[in-house]
Amino acid sequence: MRKSFPVEDLARDDRFVRVPIIERFNDPRTARQEDGPKGKRGPGRLTPDRPDAPDAARALMHGIFVGEIQALEGAGRTCWDFEVGAGNGEGIPEVPFELKLDMARQCWDEARHCEISIKLSGHMGTELGEFSENTFLYEAACNPDPVLRLTGVNRALEGLAIDVFNTMREFGEVAGDPVLEFCEDWMLADEVTHVKMGSDWLRRLTVNDKERQERALEFQRVVDKLFSLGGFRGEEEDSPVRLARRFRELAGFEKDEMDTLAEIAREAREEMEARVEANRAAVAN
Amino acid sequence: MRLFEVLGGWVATIPELDVKLRLGTHCYHHAWHSELWHKRLPELREMNPERLTAPPNDELVAFIDAMTEPEGPDLTIEKLVGAYRVLIPAKIAAYTYHLNNTSTITDAPTIRSLKFILQDELDDWRDGEMMIQSLIQTEAELQRAIDHQAMLQKLMLAAGGIAGPGSIGDSYEATEEAHA
Repeated sequence: MRKSFPVEDLARDDRFVRVPIIERFNDPRTARQEDGPKGKRGPGRLTPDRPDAPDAARALMHGIFVGEIQALEGAGRTCWDFEVGAGNGEGIPEVPFELKLDMARQCWDEARHCEISIKLSGHMGTELGEFSENTFLYEAACNPDPVLRLTGVNRALEGLAIDVFNTMREFGEVAGDPVLEFCEDWMLADEVTHVKMGSDWLRRLTVNDKERQERALEFQRVVDKLFSLGGFRGEEEDSPVRLARRFRELAGFEKDEMDTLAEIAREAREEMEARVEANRAAVAN
Repeated sequence: MRLFEVLGGWVATIPELDVKLRLGTHCYHHAWHSELWHKRLPELREMNPERLTAPPNDELVAFIDAMTEPEGPDLTIEKLVGAYRVLIPAKIAAYTYHLNNTSTITDAPTIRSLKFILQDELDDWRDGEMMIQSLIQTEAELQRAIDHQAMLQKLMLAAGGIAGPGSIGDSYEATEEAHA
């Protein structure tokens, strides 16, 4: 089996439908969802009183499910792709034995999250394949540098998972759905652990290599911006997914890092609004 | 250690969702086992941890290479057969042999770890066998499983077991020679 497994070869059964994220962003139909006043994009925060709340929650649940599969696959590949060594970034990519153990532990957690997500999907009235899959999480897990890989996946994307799970947990609480609330709370606890793994390994593996650390943090910023998803995640009142500062703090994020993340989310939102305007104009023409 | 690494690596290559998830779980089981040995080996005064974390012989290297080779999405049967019909049964046999023959007093920490590990191995073996049986639907698939298992068993035979010759004790021939 090869070291490094390309995203296009990810194995799926025939229930899954894959759509590249760039196609979703550039889909002119996106403009049709933007019926609000200019400057206020998106359907807003996920609350039970929204007319589309059931569908929005189901779509988010499906997104969580496919994200869990890719997180499982990414952690598994990190067990296989690198040799055990000092992890100093010289020569063949290598990682400490303990890092591999962490990734194996994450495999177990993600496998359980997949099972939970499948059952929750049924609980919420949807099924595998009802919504499309994009592979952005696994793509971040293909970085050949293990430090960048862990920073991109465990800090940026698992960090996003903290925000998403917290949002879903709150949605379950407000909607009076203890099953959803309970399950999301358990998964949230695991995600905090996964993000903390990323924070710890970033610090340990780059303690004597500030240049590598900066490259890793830059990679994280790129991933964070991409996965702020045009304002999908942010600190605005109408952000569908809110930045979960308290849980991120538990996972090793500093306050200034979270401030930067909020700023990145604002930038992503502004860029998306500009794109939506362009799409709206294209539809009108 | 190689087992948890390859189970993790295979997850992305397997289309069957139930198998994909189960390998993710088993990956951690075997990682934990390697962690237990990683901690225990340096405690054994008479053993050299560096030597014991190296393969016992080239034949076992060849076995591991062959077992970890399948990658394609249509090779789930081969992946599972290698892990669950060849390697894990060999591990269970070797661990059980060691458990039955080591000192219950001086080697008690090893015995404790072996018992935890064997419980996992037996559970995972059963899971693996159920997955294999669920995937084998035709005679052609059955033949694939048989052929792959035979190829790997020959390599394991040449290696003499997961720890080389003597993994489950000396052969009758060696025992007779010792007593001659």
